[in-house]
Amino acid sequence: MELSIASFVQIFVAVLLIIGLMVGNAVVMVYFERKGAGFIQRRPGPYEVGPWGTIQAVCDSMKLLGKQIFVPGNVDWILYFAAPILAFFPVLLLFLPIPFGPYLTGLKVDDGILLILAFAGFGVISNILAGWASNNKFGLLGAARAVSQSIAYEIPMILALLAVVFLSGSLNLSEIVENQGSWPWQWNIFVQPLAFFIYLVSMVGETNRAPFDLPEAESELTAGFHTEYSCMGFALFFLSEYANMLLVSFVCATFFLGGWRGPFLDGFWWTFIKAYVLMLFIVWIRWTFPRVRFDQLLNLNWRWLLPLAIINLWITAVAIKFFD
Amino acid sequence: MLKAIIDNIKGLYSLLVGLSITGRFLLSPRQTVHYPRKVIEPENMASYRGPLELVPGDPDPAQSRCISCQMCVRACPGHCLTVTKGASGKSPEVWLYDFTLCCLCAACVESCPTGAIRFSHKVYLVADSREALHLDLLGQLKSSAKQTS
Ligand code: SF4
Ligand code: SF4
Repeated sequence: MELSIASFVQIFVAVLLIIGLMVGNAVVMVYFERKGAGFIQRRPGPYEVGPWGTIQAVCDSMKLLGKQIFVPGNVDWILYFAAPILAFFPVLLLFLPIPFGPYLTGLKVDDGILLILAFAGFGVISNILAGWASNNKFGLLGAARAVSQSIAYEIPMILALLAVVFLSGSLNLSEIVENQGSWPWQWNIFVQPLAFFIYLVSMVGETNRAPFDLPEAESELTAGFHTEYSCMGFALFFLSEYANMLLVSFVCATFFLGGWRGPFLDGFWWTFIKAYVLMLFIVWIRWTFPRVRFDQLLNLNWRWLLPLAIINLWITAVAIKFFD
Repeated sequence: MLKAIIDNIKGLYSLLVGLSITGRFLLSPRQTVHYPRKVIEPENMASYRGPLELVPGDPDPAQSRCISCQMCVRACPGHCLTVTKGASGKSPEVWLYDFTLCCLCAACVESCPTGAIRFSHKVYLVADSREALHLDLLGQLKSSAKQTS
């Protein structure tokens, strides 16, 4: 890919749209998350601000922006302020290679999934920095948990994705989508159900969402690594959490659910519909399952997901060798 | 090994059961009542424990059934109650109740030999000071009897 003015403009526009998507996504998802929590617990959720409480999330974010930036004593200033920025900006990059539609792709690269997996690690670095720099025992514990959890969940996640990569013979996300058909039974989920399941579990673990939200377990660690962040620092962590959720949902949609391919009319709407169904599923999971213990989390990963992913990958490789 | 695998498959099934339960709740009607627009139906209030009130007496609703036996005063773990016997007869002259100390444990209600006290259903009780929650139940009984008559 040669760098021309046109490609710069393309990337610039893509980044702007992605920022818009991230912020809009956070506002919409906060609303649905709270409504979902309310409905599951048989109460109405946000109700008073705007019709059916729709403006509640906007008002909350305004309030958050208006708050004082409170910096605790003895923090490591550079790292303390670098952490939220480091949490937010790499996520922008991660959205670039996602094929939202046949033509709607920020950056068509041949090894898109490699880019995503490589930069996804930045999220954990920001968690470690935040926990370490804020000079708080809860923060530090949260950071330590974040590290071991992300190591644990990234490996089965990569192995599950690798099985699909073997099938399509490409690291390019657009090609992976094009290799799947329009109808649900032509999607990779039917060829690789086990990989889909493993990915589903590790995507919840990877985004630190309940029941795997140990790095920020409220009842144990106050707020874990972002205990000491207020105002914009917290807002950036919050945005990046929702952006990460959206990202893993998009990756899941492209890899297993046919991406922008769908019945009747292919197009970017299918990517969004699939991704948001997955997002709502993550919300549903959060309000259904209690948080796991830390040893349970690691056991689940190292003793079940990882061996299953390896076996799955092995079977896929053998099958491709013999039937192709 | 086999047992562990079977256990885990059972565990997975239980996760699905959990999801189906919350999914059903997600779609079933809400239970919360929006206070200023709606109030709770009286039949749902039967088990609600509001601040104590005296049961109106049988011939005269302004008179309490209380015989000033002090059982409730002694039973109360929070020392919320003050009952003073009147000069004539057994009926009380002062019946004070400090709602700020009450834990709504019902020890007083259960210990009363004449069934003179019960929990009220005042859900929407609001007070702006501690003193406003030092209630004179005899006075309340008299004024409510006057209101109904
Ligand atoms: S309910 Fe319990 S605490 Fe309250 S007045 Fe009766 S005995 Fe005392
Ligand atoms: S136990 Fe009943 S009868 Fe005895 S003093 Fe208390 S309210 Fe009156």
